[in-house]
Amino acid sequence: MKRVLRSRFFVVPATIALAVALWNIYVSLHAHGLIAGRVVDADGRPVAGATVVLFAHDFVTQVEKARTATDGGGDFRFNDNDSHLVQLQAVDGKQSSQRITLRLWFRGQDRVLRQPLRLLRATGQVAPAGGQG
Amino acid sequence: MTRRETTLLGVRHAVLVMISLVMLTPFYWVLKTSLTGENIYAYPPSLLPVRPHLFNYVDVWYLIPFPRYLLNSVIVSAIAVSGNVVLNAIAGYALTLPFPGRRAMIVLLLSCTLIPFQATIIPAYLITAHLGLLNSYLGLALPLMSTIVCIFIFKASFEAVPRSLIDAARIDGLGDVRILLRVLLPLSTSAIATNVVLAFIWSWNNFLWPLIITRDADMQTLPLGLARFLSYMEDTTGALYAFVVMVLAPGLLVFLMAQSSFMRGLTAGATKG
Repeated sequence: MKRVLRSRFFVVPATIALAVALWNIYVSLHAHGLIAGRVVDADGRPVAGATVVLFAHDFVTQVEKARTATDGGGDFRFNDNDSHLVQLQAVDGKQSSQRITLRLWFRGQDRVLRQPLRLLRATGQVAPAGGQG
Repeated sequence: MTRRETTLLGVRHAVLVMISLVMLTPFYWVLKTSLTGENIYAYPPSLLPVRPHLFNYVDVWYLIPFPRYLLNSVIVSAIAVSGNVVLNAIAGYALTLPFPGRRAMIVLLLSCTLIPFQATIIPAYLITAHLGLLNSYLGLALPLMSTIVCIFIFKASFEAVPRSLIDAARIDGLGDVRILLRVLLPLSTSAIATNVVLAFIWSWNNFLWPLIITRDADMQTLPLGLARFLSYMEDTTGALYAFVVMVLAPGLLVFLMAQSSFMRGLTAGATKG
């Protein structure tokens, strides 16, 4: 029995199975669909009432999945993201931010943006997609 | 070891290393592209991955039903491997026993190895259809559940076992099944490993047969999924190569785990067949 337990035919599959189990436990604990962040203006001040749009990847393009508004501190959050590849863009009147791409390790991964969405001074112009969140 | 022998050994190893590098370069390129998604036709090419990441693998996992394809491939390969070990061992043992027409049977089996699978695919399809196994896991594994090459690997391995050992077992009252299970198979681990590796790789990489007999997308295996992915995602080089790596990885893993036994089994088959 000890010989079997030490053989590579047991050790390698068992190690893979253990890694998969641990990963799935981690995923189940961190997949609530939360995406949070902050919107600031060109001078770095929080913007209240700005609209943040969440786009999800749909095979060939990004389609709008949800939108929310920032609170008094410029913070926003989405609670029901179920995609692994999303884009975020803030819009406030004629101002908008760059559309940033968030690549997640699994569907619905909880993520808080380190960098805020910064509204651009140029009005009415939607910036091209790009940049990591 | 003399100086001349040392030099020759060094030269031999240098040549082997160079050949290995040439053989491994395509695999490295696939792996590198899967980590970067760069254009494979870019000139000059970058030898090292630029800003590598694993998100292409995440894309593959979610953009197509990869877990389903993986499960199908694992089930089909498990059935094929089990069938190979059991059926080939029985057939290989039978060919070591004396019976009328044994030589003709061996010649017939050997000559059948010359017929390509494509030539027998219509009868194979009709038989599978009559058995009601189209679009099923058993039907997917059926043509690979016994292969002639592997039968002869078992035959060669069983013939290498001393005859006196089998005679002693027979005198002790063991029947053919127990001789096979208790005496021959425990002494043929190399042949078993060779059967497992070959059956796994053949069934894992099989494309044509699953393409013909599967009706539902849910029954497709990884090679079919790869073709489907290619038709959907024409411009995602990184994800495509990540898919290729994910298809290749299990076969490589199985081979690396069993490589020493696999080599022994093949060598025995080559010298004693």
